Order: sequence, then C-alpha cells, then structure tokens
Amino acid sequence: MKALSTEQLTKSFGALTAVSGVSLAIEAGSLHSIIGPNGAGKTTLFNLLTGAFAPTSGKIFLEQKEITGTPAHRIAHLGIARSFQRTNVFPALSLLDNVWVAAFATGPSWKGLLFRNKNQYHEANERAYQALSDVGLGGKSGHLARAISHGEQRQLELAIALAAAPRVLLLDEPAAGLSPEETRRMVALVRSLKGRYTIVLIEHKMDIIMSVSDRISVMHFGRLIAEGTPAEIQRDPEVRRAYLGGIVGGVAA
Amino acid sequence: MTRPLILVLAAIVLLPIAVRPAIATEIWIFAIFGLGLNLLLGYTGLLSFGQSTFFGSAAYVAGWLLKHYGINVFFALGVGLGVGALSALVVGYLCVQRSGLYFIMLTFALNQLFYFVAYQWTSVTGGEDGMPGIPRPAFLGIDFSNPINYYVFVCAIFLLFLLLMKRIVESPLGKILIAIRENEIRAGAVGFHVPRFKLLAFVIGGAFSGVAGVLYAMLFGIVPLESISFVTSGNVVFATLIGGSGSLYGPLIGSVVFIWLSESMSNVWARWPLLLGVAFVIVVLFFRGGVVEAWNRLALKSPKWFPK
Amino acid sequence: MLYALMGLGLSLITGILNIPNFAHGALFAVGAYLLATVAGFLGNFWLGLLIAPIGVAFLGLIIEYAGVRRLYAAGHDYQLLFTFGLALILSEGIILVWGPVGFSHLPPPVLRGGLDLGFTFYPKYRLFVMLAAGFLVLLTWLFLEKTRYGAIMRAGIENKEMVSLLGIDIHRLFTVAFALGAYLAGIAGALTAPIRGLSPGMGVDMLGIAFVVVALGGLGNLLGAIAAGVLIGVAQAIVAAYWIEASTAVIFAVMALVLLVRPQGLFGIR
Repeated sequence: MKALSTEQLTKSFGALTAVSGVSLAIEAGSLHSIIGPNGAGKTTLFNLLTGAFAPTSGKIFLEQKEITGTPAHRIAHLGIARSFQRTNVFPALSLLDNVWVAAFATGPSWKGLLFRNKNQYHEANERAYQALSDVGLGGKSGHLARAISHGEQRQLELAIALAAAPRVLLLDEPAAGLSPEETRRMVALVRSLKGRYTIVLIEHKMDIIMSVSDRISVMHFGRLIAEGTPAEIQRDPEVRRAYLGGIVGGVAA
Repeated sequence: MTRPLILVLAAIVLLPIAVRPAIATEIWIFAIFGLGLNLLLGYTGLLSFGQSTFFGSAAYVAGWLLKHYGINVFFALGVGLGVGALSALVVGYLCVQRSGLYFIMLTFALNQLFYFVAYQWTSVTGGEDGMPGIPRPAFLGIDFSNPINYYVFVCAIFLLFLLLMKRIVESPLGKILIAIRENEIRAGAVGFHVPRFKLLAFVIGGAFSGVAGVLYAMLFGIVPLESISFVTSGNVVFATLIGGSGSLYGPLIGSVVFIWLSESMSNVWARWPLLLGVAFVIVVLFFRGGVVEAWNRLALKSPKWFPK
Repeated sequence: MLYALMGLGLSLITGILNIPNFAHGALFAVGAYLLATVAGFLGNFWLGLLIAPIGVAFLGLIIEYAGVRRLYAAGHDYQLLFTFGLALILSEGIILVWGPVGFSHLPPPVLRGGLDLGFTFYPKYRLFVMLAAGFLVLLTWLFLEKTRYGAIMRAGIENKEMVSLLGIDIHRLFTVAFALGAYLAGIAGALTAPIRGLSPGMGVDMLGIAFVVVALGGLGNLLGAIAAGVLIGVAQAIVAAYWIEASTAVIFAVMALVLLVRPQGLFGIR
C-alpha cells in the first residue's frame, strides 16, 4: 500500500522550475531515500509535501486522500512530520518542552489550552518523554536546546518530528554537519526507526543511503531520473552520468 | 505560595506607605497593562506599539457608560475587558498577518487611527480636554471614592489578573507562544496555526489593557486624550522592558520603577518627557536587559553590595 | 507627494538599517523649525530651504554614528525604545527652544497668492511644493537607480551579507542611508512649514503617515512609497472636502482597508 504519493508534482519560482513533474510512490512501512546533487530540488519537494509551499501544479496524496494545498499547520495533524536540514529547534526551551509542544500540537485534545497546567496532559507528556528517549536524549530533558552540542541538536531535531506520532516521517539530511562518530549514531538511530514509520530520507552520504534504504529515487534538475533498489541505482548508467564521478563515483572508488 | 507572590503581597501592603495612594494605585493599574503587553512582547515576541488603543478605547466606552448610565464598577470592568478584547481582535487581525518591522509600524499606525478619532469626536470624548467626570460608584455599600478603599479594590483586581496571567503562561498556550517567539516556522510545522495564536495573545493582551484603562479612568475621574495616544503605548513598552520582558513579574517591577520615576520627574519639571527620552536612550545604550539584568551585572562586580 | 517624500526617507532607513525609526517624525519637525529660524534670521526663504535639511541630515549622521550603530545587534524592542526616546528628546527640545505654542511661517513673496488655473484657484506655494517634492522624489530615484552608490544601497536592502562580502563598508552605507533619510524628512518638514505652520506635535502626526506609506508601499520600495503617498494624499484631499474632521483619520482607515484586501500591501513584497 502506498503511504504517500505524488502525481506530476511541479513547483516553479518565476523562471526557475525547482521540482518538475515528479511522480513518486512511497510504500507504507518502507524507508525510501531521495538523492541527487545539490540544487536537484529535494528540499523543495519536502516543502511541497509538508505544505510549506503550494505546488504550481500536480497532486499529493496521503494514502488515498488528496492533500494538495493543505497548509503546513494542518499537515502535521494528518500524520506527516518532518525534520529540517538546518537545525530548526526552539533554542530557549528545554529539550522536553521542545518535543512537548510538538506532542501537544498533534495530541488528542486541546481542552484547557488557556488555563490548565501543562503537566496535566498525560498523553503529550508521555509521548514527549518517549520521543526524547528514542533519540537518546532522555537524560537531558531539562537542558536548554541552545546549550547542547550540534550533534545533540540534530537528535533533538528528529525527536521533535517523532513527538508528533506521525505515520510518515520526512527526514532532511539528519546527518548534516555531524562528525563520523555522531554520524554512526545517527545511522543507528534511523535504522532503529525503520519499520515503525514510513520514512522518506534525503541524504548526501552515499554509504548511509546504500545501507539503510529499501528504495531510492534520484533527482536531477528537479526531475526524477531513476528509481530502484540500492543495487539497481548503483548500476544505473544515467545516475552515474548525472553525478559525473561525484558521490557515486566516490563510493565505487 | 511561591516567593515572588509573597513579595508582591508585601509590596502591595508597603507601597501606600511610601507613596501617595493615588500613585500606588496607578502603579498596580499600570502593572495590569504591562502584564497584557508582556504576553505579546515577552512571550510571543510581538512588539506591539499600539497598546493604548485598547487601554484608551476601553476607558472611553466604560467612562461614557459610568458617566451617563451609572453602571456599577464590575459591569464597567466587564465592559472594559470586552472593549479591550474586541478592539484588539480587530487591530490584531490586520497586524498579525505581517511580521517584524511591518508589525510594529502597523500597530502604531492603527493606534494613530484611534487617536485621531478620539481627538476629533469631541462631542463624546471631549477631544483634547479629555472626558471628565467619571464617577467611582459605590458597590454594596463600599465607598470607592475613598482612596484607600479604591486602592484595595484595584489591588484585588490586580492580583486576580496576575494569577490569571500566571495560569495562562503556565498553560499549553504559554509554551506555544514561546515556541512561536523562538521559531515561528517550526511552530507552524509541528501543527500550530501561528497567526491564530498570535491573534489570541493579542486579544488576551487587549483584554488586560482594557481592564487597566477602566481602572485608570476611575482613578483619576477623567479619560485624558493621552490615554489613547502613542505616548502611553511607548510608556508601557518602556516599563515592561526596564522590568525585564519574558518573565511574569518583570512588568510589575517595571511599573513600579516607571510610575515612580515619571511621577517624581513630572513634579520637578514640566518638560519631563525630555528626561524620559534621555532615560530611554541611556537604558538602551547601557542597561539593556532591564533591572533584573543590571542587578545581576552589578552583583558580578561587587557581590557585597548587590547580593544575588 | 510630501507623503511620498516622507515615506521614501523612512523606507530607506528602515529598509537598509532594519530598524523601526520612531524619530523620523521628529526629524521632520526639526526640519520645519530650522527652516523658520534660518529663513527668519537670514531673511531669505531659499537659503533656509537649502540649509535646514542639511542640518537635519547632519543630525541624522550624529544619531546614527553615536547611537543607532551600537544597536544593530539588539532587538527591535530596544531599537524602538531608543528612537522613541530620541523623538521625545527632539520634540521636547523643540518646545524648549521655540516654545509650546505653534506659529505660522509665510511662504516667500514670489509664491504668495494663488494661481488661476481656469477651473480652480490654487495657492502658488502648494503648487511649488508639489513640484519640488516630485522633483526630489525623482532625484532620489535617479540616485538609487543610476548611480553606483545607489545600486549598492538597493543591494543593501535586498541582502546585507552580500554587500559586506563585496568589500563595501556596510557601516558607512548605513550612516549615509540614515543621513539621506533624515535629509528627506528634513526637507519635507521645511517645505511643509509655510503650508501648515509649525507646532511641536507636527512630527508625530507625520510619523504615523510615514508608517502608513511604508506599510502599504513596502520597505525600500520606491515606487510603492510614491504610489502609497499619492493614494493617501488623494484620499485625504477628497475626504477633507466633505468632512474636514475626519481628514487625518481617513489616512489610517484607508490603510486598514487596503490591508484587509491585500494583507501584503500594495506591491506584496515580503
């Protein structure tokens, strides 16, 4: 069953077409990676899927339901959550509060929004703690987000997305800017989430992609140029040409 | 009960000994006003330079009803709350769609709209002369024209609104507003309709301003034109900032300092706004972060004189 | 056109420096008062018109250099408080120097009286102001569009990092922009003095209008400032003909109406 799919999705900014006629189908429960050189339109695709931008044309479906043009703040309630390529947390809030607001947003009830003490929302609290411990930050829940290391902020970035209890998780370069050691931990983390969520992953580091993905789609200049299993993608001549001895070449060598 | 709350109670008792009852009363009224602004400025990160719109509108409407229809004080407060919230809903609706500098300029420009309406509509507002003759009707045999009785009444209302604000900032809404201040895009991405929450903060702030406006009108028996002018908007921003925005009690400290300061300056010199301007400039250039931070910095230098 | 001039100056300052300049109205008032004094002292309106705005620009230079410059890293709240404090100082200073009571200033003899346009009788001085303001707007436009430094300034509105990466002294750019904005405010004030007379409150009234122009026209948007300035000027003139009391409030009402229909302003930038 398809968890998330697009039909001829296109986004133009004036003369520039960042995403062009992309038709994509993400199988439920799979880990589907999207790769491509810088500027291929991967993050723009995420922005379309999460309602940050409205597409110029084309359609987006969550399971059977069309969600094209749904604004960003509604998308979260439908069960799509994302992490950002650039760390995008709430710096002056504690780690727990960072994930708590996300858990509350998609929680069962906003009753008492104005006057109930925030500790009285059991489900949101539980989910927030769960998300923090899932990414391995359970011991630091009281720290302020601005006071933790970059690697930990990347983990928090992921935890905020998890706290929304999504069906589909969009991860935009979760390992961006991490040291080799931190990267290893992040890969283990992503792998541990596999199967629990439908995951769409954007990543540059090919070793990660090749080892965790079920399927891979390749974008180039806003278009999908190939799709397949990691092994198929590695053999694909067009992919090799697009990268011109770039990252794929690096892996081959 | 928490320690700050005990300090507030102590201040309420001690203040009338230190200054005239009218000034003490004005301080707590201004503190309610500051609490409302602080929800916007400190928690949501929205710099509204038009809070006197709600303060003044509420004062005029409730003042008119008090004067001509003899409504009781609680009904007047209710009217003030309603008018404050409603005017904030209208103004806020226009303002929250823009951010940053535009937001500030819009709140100011709409403040000017209300000001000029009040200025020209002399048959109701009295224009430049203000709307005099606002009574303080007795309620259940309590004579509010007695300054001490009125002081107690204002303090009770103030405490009520302080506790109300405490609940609000400790509720989910409080956290959500801080999240919006910290990162608007992410707050939207996790599922909050940001403009609607900003508007909600605006309306709550407006309601607080409205209540303060009505208490103010009853205190001085007049609604001066100044109560709806940009000067009042600027004053409450200043008071909140010197107290330290972003903490629940900051505006209270700011209000005490500001009212006391402006009162003593205006007694010295008719051109005291000049001194006020100088004070603004000095605070901004040298004491950013408000009283709380200035204290902490001094404590670092000479811990003996300025204990933490 | 005067509104456009005012809005343009403010637009430059807010657009380039990214600060809310609440002292802009006070600069306008200082321009007017300086004109009255200099012109009265020298007995020559034209010299006054030449000198007064330069004085205001100089004042702007000092303000930027001594104060605003230190606040770029501070939040808008402190910047606002600072410029608001300045506005208080300047307007109270005006009262100290020139007294709290407003007075009028006559236009130069050549421009007194009216001009018969056939269908209507129009005061010569107002006509002059319209032409002069239009000319100044044109001049500013030429400066921004056709000169190298103007191009840098426009770039500064779009992207400050880029400009400093190009090796341009961004601080000097800020100072020049502030002084230029102040100059425009000053000359708008000087031109206004003979029409509306002088009063300490004139600055604040104008400040609100300048904000409206910027809110509608867009920060740093020249055409927007002109369009918005003309729009509210015309709206005000029409309302003033029928209901004089509402002629100031209508400016803000027009703004509210436009924003209701187009929240992003006339040209929808940002």
